[in-house]
Amino acid sequence: MTGVTRSRGFLLVVGSVVVSLVLVGAYLAAGGSSYTTEKVQNPCEPRPWSNPQSLGEIANQFTVSALDGAACKLGVSREALARALATPEERERFKQKYGITDRKLAEAVRAGLVRAVDDAEEAGALSPLIAAPLRETVQRIPLKQAIEFINDAESFLGNVNGFLGPAQNLLEDFLP
Amino acid sequence: MAALALAVGVVLADSSIVVLALPDIYRELNTSVSGVTWVLVSFNLVMALAAVPAALIARRVGPGRATAVGLAVFAGAGLACGLADSLSTLILARCIQALGGAAAVTASLELLPATVGSERRAATVWAAAGATGAALGPAVGGILTELVSWQSIFLLQVPVALVAAVPILAVAKHEQATGIISTELRRTGRPHIWANLALAMVSAAIAAALFLLVLLLIEGWRLSPIEAALVVTAMPLAALLGGKLAEYVAEARPRAAAGAILVSGGLAGLAFLPKATIALTLPPQVLVGIGLALVLSALTETALGGRAPQAIHGGWTISARHAGVVIGLLLLTPIFTHEIDQQRHDAINAGTAVILDSPVNPLLKLDLAEKVSQRLEEEKGKVPTIGPAFEPLPEDPGERSEVQQLQGELQDQLDRGATHAFSTSFILAALLGLIALLPIALSKEVEL
Repeated sequence: MTGVTRSRGFLLVVGSVVVSLVLVGAYLAAGGSSYTTEKVQNPCEPRPWSNPQSLGEIANQFTVSALDGAACKLGVSREALARALATPEERERFKQKYGITDRKLAEAVRAGLVRAVDDAEEAGALSPLIAAPLRETVQRIPLKQAIEFINDAESFLGNVNGFLGPAQNLLEDFLP
Repeated sequence: MAALALAVGVVLADSSIVVLALPDIYRELNTSVSGVTWVLVSFNLVMALAAVPAALIARRVGPGRATAVGLAVFAGAGLACGLADSLSTLILARCIQALGGAAAVTASLELLPATVGSERRAATVWAAAGATGAALGPAVGGILTELVSWQSIFLLQVPVALVAAVPILAVAKHEQATGIISTELRRTGRPHIWANLALAMVSAAIAAALFLLVLLLIEGWRLSPIEAALVVTAMPLAALLGGKLAEYVAEARPRAAAGAILVSGGLAGLAFLPKATIALTLPPQVLVGIGLALVLSALTETALGGRAPQAIHGGWTISARHAGVVIGLLLLTPIFTHEIDQQRHDAINAGTAVILDSPVNPLLKLDLAEKVSQRLEEEKGKVPTIGPAFEPLPEDPGERSEVQQLQGELQDQLDRGATHAFSTSFILAALLGLIALLPIALSKEVEL
C-alpha cells in the first residue's frame, strides 16, 4: 500500500467528517432543532388582553378568555375545547373521549364565561356596572345558550343589554 | 455482462422500487401503515433468508441455469404482484419474487468473472449494479406509479427480467449440453463477519433514508409520487459521483468509513431540516448518495475479496444487506408512525391556536374551525391538506387578506409537525450508520 493511497484514504475520511459536520451545523444554526409545532399555552395561565379597539376585537378576546376558563376547569387544552364546541358531533366525540357529562361541561362553560367577563373588566373593556350583572347572568344560563355565547361573542356582547334588563341603554356608554 | 448487470440491477431495485407506490397500495388495498410496510419487508426478508441457500443450489445446478430460472421465477411472480387484488396475495407474490431474485443475483456473480475478466472486476460490477438499482428504484417506482399505476411497476419488471434472461439461457444450455458448470467446486470459506455486519447496518440506514424521505415528501409535504420521484433522484445522481470518487481511493476501509460517515451526516441533516422546503433536502441527499456508493461497493469488495466461491459470499452480502433493510424498517416503522400521530395532534392544536388568536371575525373563525375539523375527520390518520377549508375566500379584501394569512400560518404549523415527525427516525438511522464504523474498523482488508 503506497503512502499516496493511504493519504487519499485519510483525506476522504476527514473530508467526509468535515462535510457532514458543516451540513448539520448549518441546518442547526438555521433553526433545524426548533422547527417544530408551537406548544399551546396552559389555559389556566392568564392570557393578557391586548388593547381592544372595537366590539369585534372585544368579542374575539372574550371568546378566547371564555375558552381558556372552560378548558382550565375541564383540564383540557383550549384548542381541543374550541374544536369540540364547533359542532354537536364534535362535542359528543369530545365528551366521550374525556368522559365529560353535560352537567360538567355546562359548569365549565359558565366558569369560562365568568372568566371572560373578569378579564374584560380587568382590561377596561367592560365597565364594572355591566360586568357584575353580566357575571350573574352567565352563571345561570343553559349550556346550549352558553356555547352560543362563546361561539358568537360579538352578537352576545352587542345584545348584552337585552339580557341585563336594568342595565339597558347603558352598554354603549361603557363599551368603547 | 450487460444482461448480468441488468439482472442484478432489476432484482436489487425491487427492494426499494415500491417505496413511492406504498401510499397508493395503502389506499387501494385498504390496509394499514404497518400492513403496507410488509410489501417491502417480505421481499427483503425472503432475500435475506434465501440468498445463501440459493447460491448453494446455483452451484449444484449451474449458475447459468440458476440465473435464468431465477429471473423467470422473478418475472412470473412480478406478474402475480401486478395482478394482486389483496395485500396477502401481493405479499405472497413478493416472497416468491424474492426467491427467484435471490437465485438470479447470487448465481450471476459466478458468471461475471468469465465475462469481465477477473473476480475483483466482477465484484465491482456486481456491487455497482446493485447499488445503482437500489438507488434508482424509488425514482423509477414513483414515476410509474404517477404516470400509470403501482401495478405497472411489477408488470414492467416482467419484460425487463426476460430480456436479461435471454442471453443467459445460452450459458444455461451450454451447461446442460456439456454437463460442465462454470465454477470449480472449491471449499466454501467462512463469510467475512465484520464486512457483512457493517453492510447490514449501513443498509438499514440507507433503507431508512429512502423510505422515510419518500414518506415525508408524499404523506408529510403532500407531493405527488412523480414530484417525490424527481426529488429523490438526487440520491442516485450523487451515487454516480460517489462511484467516480471511489476510483481515486484504492483502499476499501477508508472508502467504507467515509461512506458510512456521509450517509450518517446526510441522515442527520434530514433530521434537522430548518424548513419544509424541497431544496433543503438536496444537500443531505447528495451526502447519502455519495456515501452509499462508497460504502456499499467497498464493503461488498471486502466481503468477497479472496473468498471462494463468489456466489456463496455474494449470497452472504445479499443476505446482510437485505437483513439490514428489514431491521431498519421494523425498527423505525413503529417509531415514526407513533411520531406522526403525535405530531399530527400537536400540529392540529397549534393550528387551532393560530385560528383562535387571529384577528379574523369570530363568526368566520367558527366557520373555519368547523371546516378544518371536517378536513381532519375526512383525512383521519394523515397530515391534512387544509386548503379546501378556506374556500371560498371572503369577498371583503381586508377579511380575505386576514384569512389568507391565517391559512399560511396554519399550513406552516402542519408542515412543521409533518417534518418534525420524522426527525427521531432520521437520527436513529444516522446512528445505525455511525455504529457501522465499528465493524468497518475491525474489518481486515484482503488484497486481491
